[in-house]
Amino acid sequence: MARMKFLCDADRCIECNACVTACKNEHEVPWGINRRRVVTLNDGKPGERSVSMACMHCTDAPCASVCPVNCFYTTADAVVLHSKDLCIGCGYCFYACPFGAPQYPRVGNFGSRGKMDKCTYCTGGPEPDLSTIEYEKYGSNRLAEGKLPLCAEMCSTKALLAGDGEMIAQIYRERVIKRGYGSGAWGWKTAYRETVAI
Amino acid sequence: MRQEKKSGIGRRQFFRTIGGGSAVAAATLISPLSTSEAQAYDPGAEETKARYRETDHVKAFYRTNGYETLQK
Repeated sequence: MARMKFLCDADRCIECNACVTACKNEHEVPWGINRRRVVTLNDGKPGERSVSMACMHCTDAPCASVCPVNCFYTTADAVVLHSKDLCIGCGYCFYACPFGAPQYPRVGNFGSRGKMDKCTYCTGGPEPDLSTIEYEKYGSNRLAEGKLPLCAEMCSTKALLAGDGEMIAQIYRERVIKRGYGSGAWGWKTAYRETVAI
Repeated sequence: MRQEKKSGIGRRQFFRTIGGGSAVAAATLISPLSTSEAQAYDPGAEETKARYRETDHVKAFYRTNGYETLQK
């Protein structure tokens, strides 16, 4: 069974924000919510690198672990989705997520946030596939149409990879073999510096 | 000073009655929750089924992303 994954090749990302724009347009994401955004490290300095970030659809998702109403579920494609009918907008998932993926449409009095919104890997939600109600709540369902997330398909420099984890790992591995490891914006040595032996 | 005899329920008796009534109501509300177990959300097999298919569209994505090195 294929496991859907995102991988951003930081050596290729030029911070054009096309992935962010494509996502917002495809799903008609309202103002104030960014399901995807580009994070730049060492901005304006030599060696700056950009990484496109969204929900990483974790295998053991911390958002699902802390949700008090258990509104998260994982599909057979290993995509982490949630039900907006069950979500109470408590914000626990936002604090638990290491990538800042969960977003909220409102900042109201007494901490009211509205229903949580996040990247769906262009897979919609629990409503019937390609239905109007699914589109209104979660955006389009490109996987059901036989396509991949639009952010990756739109990427002009082929930095953002999406699809079967084994397939995109193979693509990235062969890039690294050809050109070298490069920026090291990802990986164990980035997280743990030189103290870890790979 | 003459003490007037109040008719009906006194203040203390009134709160005693209200308190007892709300305790019974709370017990009625809580008892079904305390006996049932928490249920994880199960959207059903149809909603969690695999939607990914390696269509020509997807194959074209893999081919164009790996065209420099990936031999197809």
